[in-house]
Amino acid sequence: MIHADDGILSQEQRLMRDSCRSFVDDVVTPFIRSNWQREWDMSPGERLPSAILEGAEAIGVRTLGVPEEFGGIDLEKETEVRTFALISEEIARGDSGLADKLVQNWKVSIVLRQFAPKHLQEKWFPRLLEDPKFLLAHCLTEPRGASDRWLPYNVPEASMHTKAVLDGDHWVINGRKQFISNGFDASLYVVYANTDPSVGMLQGTSSFLVPRGTPGLTITKCNETMGCRFMNNGELVFEDCRVPADHLLVKSTALASAGQYFRAGKIIQAAKNLGVGVACFERTADYVQNYVQGGRILIKHQAVALRLADMATRIEAVRSLVERAAKAVDEAHPDADILCNMAKVYASEEIMKVATHALELHGGNGAMLEFGIEKLFRDAAIFLHMDATVDVSRMKIIKNMFPATAGKYAGPES
Amino acid sequence: MKVVVAVKRVADPNVKVRALADGSGVDLANVKMTMNPFDEIAVEEAVRLKEAGHATEIVVVSVGPEKSAETLRTALAMGADRGLLVRSDAVVEPLAVAKILKAVAETEKPDLIIVGKQAIDDDANQTGQMLAALLGWGQGTFASKIAIGGAAIEVTREVDGGLQTVNLPLPALVTADLRLNEPRYASLPNIMKAKKKPIDEKTPADYGVAVEPRLTVVRVHEPATRKAGIKVGSVAELVDKLRTEAGVL
Ligand SMILES: Cc1cc2nc3c(=O)[nH]c(=O)nc-3n(C[C@H](O)[C@H](O)[C@H](O)COP(=O)(O)OP(=O)(O)OC[C@H]3O[C@@H](n4cnc5c(N)ncnc54)[C@H](O)[C@@H]3O)c2cc1C
Ligand SMILES: Cc1cc2nc3c(=O)[nH]c(=O)nc-3n(C[C@H](O)[C@H](O)[C@H](O)COP(=O)(O)OP(=O)(O)OC[C@H]3O[C@@H](n4cnc5c(N)ncnc54)[C@H](O)[C@@H]3O)c2cc1C
Repeated sequence: MIHADDGILSQEQRLMRDSCRSFVDDVVTPFIRSNWQREWDMSPGERLPSAILEGAEAIGVRTLGVPEEFGGIDLEKETEVRTFALISEEIARGDSGLADKLVQNWKVSIVLRQFAPKHLQEKWFPRLLEDPKFLLAHCLTEPRGASDRWLPYNVPEASMHTKAVLDGDHWVINGRKQFISNGFDASLYVVYANTDPSVGMLQGTSSFLVPRGTPGLTITKCNETMGCRFMNNGELVFEDCRVPADHLLVKSTALASAGQYFRAGKIIQAAKNLGVGVACFERTADYVQNYVQGGRILIKHQAVALRLADMATRIEAVRSLVERAAKAVDEAHPDADILCNMAKVYASEEIMKVATHALELHGGNGAMLEFGIEKLFRDAAIFLHMDATVDVSRMKIIKNMFPATAGKYAGPES
Repeated sequence: MKVVVAVKRVADPNVKVRALADGSGVDLANVKMTMNPFDEIAVEEAVRLKEAGHATEIVVVSVGPEKSAETLRTALAMGADRGLLVRSDAVVEPLAVAKILKAVAETEKPDLIIVGKQAIDDDANQTGQMLAALLGWGQGTFASKIAIGGAAIEVTREVDGGLQTVNLPLPALVTADLRLNEPRYASLPNIMKAKKKPIDEKTPADYGVAVEPRLTVVRVHEPATRKAGIKVGSVAELVDKLRTEAGVL
């Protein structure tokens, strides 16, 4: 692809990207290409061989976001989100499920470093660093309600059903969480629950740290997803799940305080999309320059060339918006919320089109599992509603742009 | 033990390079550059010597343009301790590089110098040998294994007939071959840490070395494109073509 962006990256960012690219080219892509059946192994724990996670560990991409004082990485804070974008794109270019798995650790580490009490940071960051299998998860979505949280609808009737009540020196959590990335195999969960049913969710939602194995927490299943299948999405049930009082991260205003997590999350989401798009383009560019139809390589048919140009143009347009939005998030610009939602929704729809072209230009081969193009198509499709649906993202943009009018809640069901 | 490793910035071996239209060289504009793969192996070996407790300090040196600092940074991220960029924007031929490295060795006084057996751009395979000769040190070229024993080093070399083992008193020079090790990726945390490691900058003139080329490039052109294959009708035809056209039988 085009690398006009090289000039704006720091030397460290370029070196980090090169390390990730080498890891993906040497380890991840060959594994994905020659083991396409592994995605469909119905034992979720068996899908991704440990060698891949160990490789990710060796280049140090599992634990970005952990502060250096705990043995983590000292990323430049002024460009941290842009660096996240760069790295998640590279990893997703190899496999977007692997990227999902890893970026969840970075995002939740941001929450922990910001909100966890020092002694719990001292406890959990070293464990995260030590164990290549240690994953983190962020639990918002419930069987009834996800879009409401993204908007967010700040009325009691839209509040979370999962509730936490203080009982002596413990919080007691009851409820369910669904569609949680890494939910099936995480070691530590950040869980959002209602702690005040009388107010809206921006004033009545608290967040908690819940270690796997806490009595009352049950991982009920691994969701079998259409794409990103090397990330194990899970469902959780809380039945009188008791966590010590110090495991409270943010009291009452947890949703409103999670902005840095959400904004970085949208950028990472868009960047993973971009990685899938780049993979689509690279595979297709290679294919159409080698495969012959009508006596000549496909790219020499103008209709094919035009589609390829369209793929490249969409990818570069997404890249431009992601860069602009990531910069706004890094600089805490007032429009960052708007821009990161734009980047997320635009990336998901554009890369879906890029993946559709890839499928089309591969002809019948595009439909065959062993060819890996349909995988890219599925991986692209699932981005449409991870971290908010397309429509909800658009509404969020307009509610942010016009808070006085569109920002007002339409009113409850009568 | 102090180790000096020389690293060169070259075009990425995975990139298809093109000759310049006027035949004066290779078109490197917008081409991805990387550390010479044999030099990566040299750096990796030095880092392993340090991890095994043999080496105490690793100094990486690169002769080349300003951007070679990035190649040094990669070596620092892999585990080297400090860097030295001897800056020259012009092409520096192996003999001049060897003379510069000799001067570096005289100030740094390393016990061991490791270089790649050749750089994948000009494939000269000369710098290590010339450097050892200039220094009057023993050399173990095309190393596939090295073992430190007291004041000497045992180098297993890949030679045409098989493997040869040489024992060299220190200080000595080794050139790294492909099977010496598998270099690590620079990890992201180490890339950030490498930012704080020092890189000194000098010029060839600081060492009194003239870099004016002694060789003249007559013309650089691309290899002839391979002709398409043909299908033969029978084994007899195949054998006939191998004999008469390919001349291999
Ligand atoms: C692979 C994957 C990973 C995920 N990971 C996580 C995770 O780690 N943590 C987590 O908490 N959640 C996670 N989710 C959940 C995700 O955030 C939600 O699925 C997403 O926000 C959509 O919510 P929903 O499924 O409840 O759909 P709904 O909210 O039910 O939406 C259904 C449809 O209704 C529309 N809609 C909803 N409300 C409105 C409205 N007010 N006005 C107009 N239209 C509306 C939506 O646009 C959509 O088209 C994940 C989901 C997936 C698929
Ligand atoms: C599920 C499935 C079932 C099938 N069943 C059958 C079956 O029962 N019997 C059977 O015989 N076949 C079958 N096929 C094959 C199917 O008909 C072909 O895959 C299809 O016609 C595309 O041909 P191709 O795969 O060679 O792609 P290609 O022809 O190589 O097409 C690749 C791309 O190049 C474009 N392209 C090709 N030529 C040109 C041109 N001249 N100008 C511009 N663009 C061009 C195409 O539009 C496409 O985008 C099946 C395929 C599938 C996926």
